[in-house]
Amino acid sequence: MAKKLRELTFELKAESPSALPTDFLHYGVVGSGDMEVIMEHQELAGAVRIIVRTPVAGFDEVWRRVLERFVNQTGMADARIEINDNNATPVVVTLRLHQALAEIAEGGARHV
Amino acid sequence: MSSDWETLQNRSFLESNARARAIGLADPGTFTELAGPRCRLSSPHLPLLGEAVEFDDGIVTGVGRHGSRPLFIASQEGRFVGGSVGEVHGAKLVNIVRMAHQAYDRMLAETPELPEERRPAVVISFETGGVRLHEANAGLLAHAELMDQFQDCKGKVPVIGIIGGRVGCFGGMGFVAAATDAIIMSPFGRLGLTGPEVIEEEMGKDEFDASDRALVYRVTGGKHKYIMGDCNLLVEDTIAAFRQGLGKVLAMSYAEIDRLRRIGSLDKVKAQLRTLAALVEIAPRDSRDVWTFAGNPAAETLVDMKLDDFLRTVKRLENAS
Repeated sequence: MAKKLRELTFELKAESPSALPTDFLHYGVVGSGDMEVIMEHQELAGAVRIIVRTPVAGFDEVWRRVLERFVNQTGMADARIEINDNNATPVVVTLRLHQALAEIAEGGARHV
Repeated sequence: MSSDWETLQNRSFLESNARARAIGLADPGTFTELAGPRCRLSSPHLPLLGEAVEFDDGIVTGVGRHGSRPLFIASQEGRFVGGSVGEVHGAKLVNIVRMAHQAYDRMLAETPELPEERRPAVVISFETGGVRLHEANAGLLAHAELMDQFQDCKGKVPVIGIIGGRVGCFGGMGFVAAATDAIIMSPFGRLGLTGPEVIEEEMGKDEFDASDRALVYRVTGGKHKYIMGDCNLLVEDTIAAFRQGLGKVLAMSYAEIDRLRRIGSLDKVKAQLRTLAALVEIAPRDSRDVWTFAGNPAAETLVDMKLDDFLRTVKRLENAS
């Protein structure tokens, strides 16, 4: 039996939280070595719930560190983040997450 | 990377993603995505195989306007599993065409005299290698259903194919593209049935060297397809150029659009057989021999010629539309 797609869930809290500046955004394409992300508002008592779907095993701790850093850097709070990953490196993950937020600032990428 | 409509227009179609193409092909601000990422309609099969999924299953579908016409749009994403047609991807594609057909019937029932320029049209941006092998039965079925939908649209809703993505349009979807009413390509677009890599794998490098990009483009590229008559319009590689090409086709009456079809009538089959017989006579060793036969003595120069000059000087095969 082939390995199955893995689903990781993280509950994180920023040190100095602030609300997600939109109720929904989608960004990215699940190309090889790339990922897409949905960020949406969800009342979680200031926490951020992140769900990662990835074919890669053995990098759970790396995911946690990358996501913790992102949540702390941006102060994101009360948000649900879903990531579909296809072997993206930690650098690409960080880049895409920040690009997604930049898209909100520019008023794009809010796909229904 | 803003997805603002104006900035999209001058962007390379080849390098844009499927969503940017869909937004840019419709009139400014008119595109509404249906069954988009928020619906999270990802493949139920890929997770079992340990493969990555995408919220839109590799295709953007929606509605917009093009001038006075309602436009039903599908745009495949080549970067996700090669734009391949899986179960969800296929269902989205089939149903956007079905919606166009249903909209047509409803509109005509309400307004029997509805002018042609206000009737619905379908545009599909093909970027695909065909069936997704991980869910091949569902994918193949979707191919058949899509051809069925095209047939139902006949005489009613024009179906326009666009090919300008990196992956090109190959495999089963090469057949589907051939069944559309009109095809618009850029010189970077590629269209074929069996893809270059598959031919090489099956028949060997002597038969077809898939790493020879010049050869691949001479056999499958937009310029060759234009000369052969497999593509109706050849445009520059920008979203705006594809949009203008689409506008040119959609400004025609249904009867005129129907005449753009490359296949689908006895006369077209006869014309193709005549061409084929003539080509067997000259026994071409390369696409360039066919271009010469079509009336382009300096065939070699066509490859690198700018598109404007190419369109001004090129001679197409006789059965070309």
